[in-house]
Amino acid sequence: MLEIRSARKVFYRGQADEKVALDDLSLSLATGEFGIVIGSNGAGKSSMLNAVSGALILDSGQILINGADVTGMPVHKRAAKLARVFQDPMRGTAASMTVAENMLLADLRSTKRTLRQGLNAARLASYKERLSILGLGLENRLDTRVDLLSGGQRQSLSLIMAVGGSPDLLLLDEHTAALDPRTAEIVMQATVRAVDALKLTTLMVTHNMQHAVDYGSRVIMLDAGRVLLEVAGEEKARVTVIDLIGHFSVKTDRMLLAG
Amino acid sequence: MGFIADVLTSFVAIIPVTLAQSLILAFVVLGIMIPFRMLNFPDLTSEGAFPLGGCVCGVLLAAGASPLMGIAAALVAGFAAGCCTAFIHLRFRIHTLLAGILMMTMLYSINLRIMGKSNLSVFGSPTVFDWVPFARPGFPASKIVVAGLLALLVFAALYMFFRTEKGTAVRAVGANPDMAEAQGINVWAATIGDVGLASAFSASSGALMVQSQGFADVNMGLGILINGLAALMIGEAVVGKQTVWRQLLAPFAGAIIYYQLVSFCLAAGMPPPDLKLATGLFVLAMLALPSLKRSRGPAPAREAIRE
Repeated sequence: MLEIRSARKVFYRGQADEKVALDDLSLSLATGEFGIVIGSNGAGKSSMLNAVSGALILDSGQILINGADVTGMPVHKRAAKLARVFQDPMRGTAASMTVAENMLLADLRSTKRTLRQGLNAARLASYKERLSILGLGLENRLDTRVDLLSGGQRQSLSLIMAVGGSPDLLLLDEHTAALDPRTAEIVMQATVRAVDALKLTTLMVTHNMQHAVDYGSRVIMLDAGRVLLEVAGEEKARVTVIDLIGHFSVKTDRMLLAG
Repeated sequence: MGFIADVLTSFVAIIPVTLAQSLILAFVVLGIMIPFRMLNFPDLTSEGAFPLGGCVCGVLLAAGASPLMGIAAALVAGFAAGCCTAFIHLRFRIHTLLAGILMMTMLYSINLRIMGKSNLSVFGSPTVFDWVPFARPGFPASKIVVAGLLALLVFAALYMFFRTEKGTAVRAVGANPDMAEAQGINVWAATIGDVGLASAFSASSGALMVQSQGFADVNMGLGILINGLAALMIGEAVVGKQTVWRQLLAPFAGAIIYYQLVSFCLAAGMPPPDLKLATGLFVLAMLALPSLKRSRGPAPAREAIRE
């Protein structure tokens, strides 16, 4: 379960270009719920995600994951509870390390690292199995350096790394935006399968209105650092792309084309 | 023909001496490689940590402490110096190179304070090299045995470490700090610990050098960094750096080859003052090689280092 209680963050306070990124934003996501966050650029989507992950320290407000207050916790401590897939495939993986080593790093996200050997036969076998679900052949490239993989393969790897160990909270930050349409679809399908199978509490930021309509149990639209609209339950099942776009204060061609 | 024969004779005659020296200095090269390659943290602390280790060991030897004690104290002092450099970088967001320059500059004064004078003779004090059976103390054979065994031990220990769960985490910090943090790795702890470890190796090299040469000098670190870098470049060119095994072997192989090359150049009559220019040009050439190999087009993007 995720709870954001009146989160507030102001950038460049007191200067001419002062910007309120989060304006007493409150949001709650029940355990197992798949929330989709939409909103125009500058609405506060990334700030919210960063605040949840710990990369952004709030001016005031609270963040609770499964009831535990994590507001003052640094990123590496919160990592025990949450996993994140970034928009840029380069950010979520260690390029100069192998596929297996990256899997190992994610595998140990919520446990204490010891001085025992990292990659052993049992682990390699389990990584092979987990990667084979993607059907991209990554399971046969465990010893390949990640910088030799394509963007789509890297992002798929990031996803498998993130959902491993069933984190309390999964954050997806426009994780298909940098991929070509076909790869984006593969990654999106893999995401939905994993979220459903593991019943993960998920928060996904997207600019793709079709995704917002097709997936998830709740759509949250942000505007100027606060929640403008929340659609859930029956209403969510009926919502269309046109409905969602109607609520945007600024409409872009990309959004209209997507409809 | 006479000239070449003379050069070869004098070169061959000092091979053992040079080998002993290079095995001792291999630890500085290791101390340069670990932050640079494993953490993406180009670190200049070794130029100060090497004499720091030497001064600490020298003072202790002069006071009658055991040679092992001297090396242990040098390790601790070097570790502390490395931790300071990493902390300056992390806490104040100062570039790693600048943090290293600050640290090595400050260490010069600290080294002088430790010794109380600029030069300290410890000739005749017991050294770790005395403990080798069958070898006459003070001769290169004993130094080669001791430094060689230490090198093997450190190599094996580091190879094991970088394959453990903790070691993999440290390498992840170098590969992608943001990702490492998101995977629950404490970037501060890993950076401080690892840069500290590297400087501890540099300092232990200084301590061994003092025991080997019989005196400590505050200026003994002068130019050690560029020599170490040159050795590292040679090592990486010869054994490569694609795997942890090769990357760890490179400093040792590089140190051995580099110091033999230097000794050959000196035997061939190169004036010692020109040595630094030659070394600098060599390092430049090795670093420039990748961009020279591309016949056309702009130079490739600069190697991403921590800001």
